[in-house]
Amino acid sequence: MSVHILGIRHHGVGSAKQVQKELERLQPDLILVEGPPEVSELFKMVDQKTFKPPLALLVYNTMDPKQSSFYPFASYSPEWVTINYGQQNNVEVRAMDLPAAASFLMQKKKEEELLKKLEENELEDVLEEEPKAPITDPLGYLAKAAGYSNSEEWWDQQFEQNSGSSEEHFEAVMYAMEALREEGIPSTMEAENEIREAYMRNIIREAKNEMHHTIAIVCGAWHGPALKDDFSDSKKDNKILKTVPKRKLKISATWIPWTNSRLSYASGYGAGITSPGWYEHQWKTKKDVEISWLTKVANTYRKKDIDMSTAHIMEAYKLAVALATLRGHSFVNKQTLDEAVLSVMCMGDEIKMELIKEKLVLAEKIGEVPDSVPKVPLQEDFEKWVKKFRLKLNTLAKEVKLDLRKENDLNKSIFFHRLELLEVPWAKKTHATSKGTFKELWLLDWEPEIMVKIIEHAYLGNSIETATQSKVIEDGKQINEISNAASLLKACIPAELFKAIEFILDRINELSAISSDVKDLMSALPQLVDLSRYGNVRKSDLTVLSNIVDNLLIKVYINLPNACYQLDEENSNKMFKLILDVNNAVRIYQDKELTAQWYQALHKVMQSSGVHAIIRGCTCRLLSDAQFLTQEVTEKEISTNLSVGNPPQEVASWIEGFLRGNASILIYDNHLWNLLYTWVGSLAKDIFIEMLPMLRRAFSQFEPEDRLQIGQKAKRGLVTSDAFTDNNEDSDFDTERASQILPVLSELMGI
Amino acid sequence: MSTVLRQHAEQQFAEELEALKSQDKAHRPTNWELSPQAVVKYLMGGKLDNGFEITPKYIGNQRLMEIAVATLTTDRALLLYGIPGTAKSWVSEHITAAVTGDSTMLIQGTAGTSEEAIRYGWNYAKLLAEGPTEGALVETPMMRAMKNGKIARIEELTRIPSDVQDTLLTVLSEKAMPIPELNTEIQAVGGFNIIATANNRDKGVNELSSALKRRFNTVILPVPATAKEEINIVQSRVSSSIKALGLPAAEPTLKEIQRVVSIFRELRNGVTEDGRTKIKTPTSTVSTAEAISVVNNGLSLAAHFGDGTLNAHDIASGLIGAIVKDPVQDATVWNEYLEVIVKPRKEWSDIYRACKELSF
Repeated sequence: MSVHILGIRHHGVGSAKQVQKELERLQPDLILVEGPPEVSELFKMVDQKTFKPPLALLVYNTMDPKQSSFYPFASYSPEWVTINYGQQNNVEVRAMDLPAAASFLMQKKKEEELLKKLEENELEDVLEEEPKAPITDPLGYLAKAAGYSNSEEWWDQQFEQNSGSSEEHFEAVMYAMEALREEGIPSTMEAENEIREAYMRNIIREAKNEMHHTIAIVCGAWHGPALKDDFSDSKKDNKILKTVPKRKLKISATWIPWTNSRLSYASGYGAGITSPGWYEHQWKTKKDVEISWLTKVANTYRKKDIDMSTAHIMEAYKLAVALATLRGHSFVNKQTLDEAVLSVMCMGDEIKMELIKEKLVLAEKIGEVPDSVPKVPLQEDFEKWVKKFRLKLNTLAKEVKLDLRKENDLNKSIFFHRLELLEVPWAKKTHATSKGTFKELWLLDWEPEIMVKIIEHAYLGNSIETATQSKVIEDGKQINEISNAASLLKACIPAELFKAIEFILDRINELSAISSDVKDLMSALPQLVDLSRYGNVRKSDLTVLSNIVDNLLIKVYINLPNACYQLDEENSNKMFKLILDVNNAVRIYQDKELTAQWYQALHKVMQSSGVHAIIRGCTCRLLSDAQFLTQEVTEKEISTNLSVGNPPQEVASWIEGFLRGNASILIYDNHLWNLLYTWVGSLAKDIFIEMLPMLRRAFSQFEPEDRLQIGQKAKRGLVTSDAFTDNNEDSDFDTERASQILPVLSELMGI
Repeated sequence: MSTVLRQHAEQQFAEELEALKSQDKAHRPTNWELSPQAVVKYLMGGKLDNGFEITPKYIGNQRLMEIAVATLTTDRALLLYGIPGTAKSWVSEHITAAVTGDSTMLIQGTAGTSEEAIRYGWNYAKLLAEGPTEGALVETPMMRAMKNGKIARIEELTRIPSDVQDTLLTVLSEKAMPIPELNTEIQAVGGFNIIATANNRDKGVNELSSALKRRFNTVILPVPATAKEEINIVQSRVSSSIKALGLPAAEPTLKEIQRVVSIFRELRNGVTEDGRTKIKTPTSTVSTAEAISVVNNGLSLAAHFGDGTLNAHDIASGLIGAIVKDPVQDATVWNEYLEVIVKPRKEWSDIYRACKELSF
């Protein structure tokens, strides 16, 4: 029996090529690959035809999916090559590393310890402890010794590019790593590595007892030496592994699609590959890698209408080769190629290089996993819907237009609304350009992490509907403001979550009983009134809602005068808007008794002296519009408030409140017009100038056409009584013809 | 010591070039005095195997120098691009000196540069007497470089009118220069190439035609990335010019150079070194080269009219001259900088007072 250790660099193209060659040479009957044992089963599923990298293995705690880790693979990852080799040649591939369960438990323990420390000590103590002596990349030492600026470059030069025999290659890698480890050079995650390597040795020992003839071990080069020596000393390893938590933890694992851009992020879930597109090119291209790359570069430019001749490709290649020779490299690496492209093709212009970076080097792409891969029920349900609606999980944003009158589109809309509530950031609602409530526009933008979000929510339920339902209920329990509850309710209705709606209605009822914040009530009301009026269109039962609205309105009426009392300018402005909103809501609600009560409340506000002029002006206007105040009273009110005795500031605010948002009253009500006209005329010059900005502000809210009309009217000056009668008795008016329409109109209006 | 005001690079650094040559074992392209690796070493400086110290000529990114030198080994010409004062001409001279040992084949590009300055001219007296003969031909530096396999330098390529620029096309692509009058041509010998410099600020003046662009590899020389790098550059250039000019002055203190460099960097970047305050930038290109000349200027003031050590007063006049190029716009920028940035810095009070005295 023989054991062979193939030390690799994760996602190294050269390593992948060597691994392929070496496996073919060794013909092993068992392969061990770095990775938690929980994923071994998943290796067996891999099929070259249906699995399309980039992919990732997702390993998570079944009970708490937030605890998860990812193992990304590109087509050129040596591990991926190994798995594929195993599948094609019917060789068992087994994962060999610390179980994910143990890692999760250790991680949790660490977090808990940190929390404990935080509780016991001051925060600073903990923070002070954290930064240890920076651990440099161990390979950096060798690179430095060989005169390279970083270890990546050194590795590329030493191992990735040499195409000699694979046996020698792995011997050389092992030799280099042994030299490093003998020097006692620490690596990152030293403590963790010790445990992991002990566990790996245990697995290897087990495998050895199974009487295989050849075992190949594919692992990160750094681990090589640790796995090579004393396989027999299991006592020592067991001692190391004593600290590892033994508690059972249910772990699930699955394959999920990954993207090239995710591969390239150095931190988080990424694999730290800077140029996935280049690596893939290297992996796929058998010969003349550099020239065909440059051709690709030139083609990319040509597509963007930037001229690039064949001569450019030749010259860039020549320069790259000259540079490599000058630097003493035996091959042209990516950086050298980039520099040649920059100098020859881009005239030194970095901006042009960005295009290549985006299109070729990053080369955005998403992997594919067949449906046969086991999934969390929630994920399965999600994919079922996606398939049913014939949607695609694309990384390029796509717009979807829905017509809610069609059943399929309505279902889609419900699905998207549910995802939104579930905080799965895939579909985002944007404003439809056409008018009408039956059109919706959604923007779909997929990211691999979104799948993680879904899996994270798996504990909420087995289908999108139930999961969303329980999420909303959970969220609803946390809500303390009625306005927030109202927004949530509003979101639930298009998602058709009836159970959740019931719950939130109860919650609102509960909250309205204890809440005393009038502003909160007022901002919730318009939404609730909207829902009570239109909710039924969506087939939800909202009769309970009207009761709630009734109660809320009465509460508002009682508290409004007090709430308006003694507010500063800013808060008055806010209150002003709220009053307008509630007023609209009341009018939509169309309950006679409640409407009358509303106007009484407003009247009270109008008459109290401690209320800001803008609110008083506004209430006066609303009451006059509703004909609660007679014309006479309105005029009196206006002239009192505009009289010279008042401070100019206050007068201006009053007018602003009175006029804001509606110009028609000035255009059509001549009495009011005359009042205002005389008032402006009576102002002294300096007071007029003082008030000008505020007046201007009041008028600036009007539509341009209205402003034009007002201006024209102002040019004509006061409206005399002749003009009044003129308007009423139009000489061309044909009474007979007009009366002919009346029956039709009354039928239409159902009078 | 020679009485020449400024020696060519190959004369000034003859010893270094000699030492490099004796140690250089790598392959040399045709007609090159040194191998490409040795040329880069000459530019970037360092210790030779025998302990000989090479002074750095270019302080900055070695990769840029590698691209520049590698370009010369291919059949494309080299175009050094950058804002004024980023050592384009300096690099071009030193590369030429190291590669061919002769940096004198120089054509200065101006708006008035004619085709005769690039191709060849005629000695009219002889032309009239003998007719077109080789004896009547006046060779240009370009022609000489072609004949001897050397490098011709063109300064300020973009200042040359476009139609004249295009005479370079045949030279660069065919590596030959036809002389129709004599029904002959000059063919370039191996080792011939061109290094041109051009200025970012003059972009668009006489933009290179795309045909010509294609025959150049471009290396953009950036302004020094860090203050440390820039201080390093100023210091080394100043101390070498003290020697060259024979100034009876002490080398300026590091503190003084740091101060000048940070004034220049702050005005160039439009923000203070600590990144906290925004500053207006003057119209002048406040380059490293200007910083060097400010210090040199100050040194000569100190040597001849002062006590031989550089102080704030010696710097002030050069500083204002370098920064205030437009008497109205730049003056306000400068005064604002003085009052807002320089004044509150306590340790800079001497320079503030010195500048204030000269203010207008």
